[in-house]
Amino acid sequence: MNEGPDRMIERVRETLREAPMVAPDQRAVARLLSAVWASPSPSRWRRVFDAWRVPALSGLGAAAVAGVALLVGFVSRGSLTQHSPEGTMVVGGVETPVMLASNTTRDAGDAAAVLTQFVLDDQTARRVSLVGEFNDWEAGNTPLTRLASGLWTVTVPLLPGRHVYAFVLDDRLVVADPRAPKVVDADYGREGSVVMVFAR
Amino acid sequence: MSMHRRVSTLVALVLASVSAAPAFAQGTVVLPIADAKARQAVEREIAQAAAKGLPTQPLVSKAMEGVTKQATGEQIQVAVASKAKRLEQARALLAPSPSVAELTSGADALDVGVPASMLKQIRAAWPATQSVAMPLDVLTELVARGIPAKLALVQITNLMARGATPSQIAALGSSVQADIASGLPPDAALEVRARGVMSLLPSPAAAASLAPTRTGPPR
Repeated sequence: MNEGPDRMIERVRETLREAPMVAPDQRAVARLLSAVWASPSPSRWRRVFDAWRVPALSGLGAAAVAGVALLVGFVSRGSLTQHSPEGTMVVGGVETPVMLASNTTRDAGDAAAVLTQFVLDDQTARRVSLVGEFNDWEAGNTPLTRLASGLWTVTVPLLPGRHVYAFVLDDRLVVADPRAPKVVDADYGREGSVVMVFAR
Repeated sequence: MSMHRRVSTLVALVLASVSAAPAFAQGTVVLPIADAKARQAVEREIAQAAAKGLPTQPLVSKAMEGVTKQATGEQIQVAVASKAKRLEQARALLAPSPSVAELTSGADALDVGVPASMLKQIRAAWPATQSVAMPLDVLTELVARGIPAKLALVQITNLMARGATPSQIAALGSSVQADIASGLPPDAALEVRARGVMSLLPSPAAAASLAPTRTGPPR
């Protein structure tokens, strides 16, 4: 691997150039090379530890990094990212939005989230949102996109398990998914839908 | 960089990332409940739950569900209080150290009418280190689909004892759900699908030899 002149070699060369001209002691060179080759390569842990050596990271730098970590913490709780689509994916040949549900992680330790698509066929609604415990039932957090066919769809990452959800039409009307099993809502008296999510 | 500085940087990073999420989750939630009296009562309920060491996110979510469903302040208050009670009950039943997912799943199971003793039985069927959130979720779903809790519990714990993975148990729940939707009687759907998952698992003798610690059907 040749990546151009090495600064270290250049510095050594300049230093040695100033030294008095003497014939190199071949045995000394051999001893030096033997010592270098005989020394063990640093362990994996040593390399990981050395990776922390950031000379430029002063106390101020550490504080700045901590600040960034705090911001990441808040963002990861969903306070900033939950309102915007995270990207798109192609489902059945159609590009559909992928949303990050704010409460995807019921328990981060259990399993990885599974992308789960929701579809609603409603020709009259002007806006449709997905609500469930995974996004704290906040209408508007997870809007569905209307496709040319008139179907509404969104794909969200959900943790494996049982999720109760509903659709909110035009920011007001809460309806169950007509294509999914229903569940009785004893608390608020409105029907919801259930999806079982698992890694296939 | 000195060792001291490296350590202080590391400590700052860890503290920052650990403290950010709980501070946001526990302290500063403003619930958009129009009825001020009900809002204060709900916030008190959530604060009490936090003081007991219960997860508050499911309670906030329950309150928000009520807001979205345009429930009255009183309905939201009652719903949050009963959710807190179920979470507390689930914590006792799933002792010693249930995760948030297990608590939420346990509370949901109690909500659909799964007897409290069954949560203990599910917990006992797997080693304490393994999450029972998925078996609880499947039990909840089967009971919600009209399958008697006792029957559902037997099938699930049999699968757990035979070394079924959470995904296999979830697949059972999903298949039964689909079968019932397509018109199969709930009991028959459960029997045939449980048999299907069972056929994928190693024999009981092999499962017993593979089991790390305590397995076996509940007493």
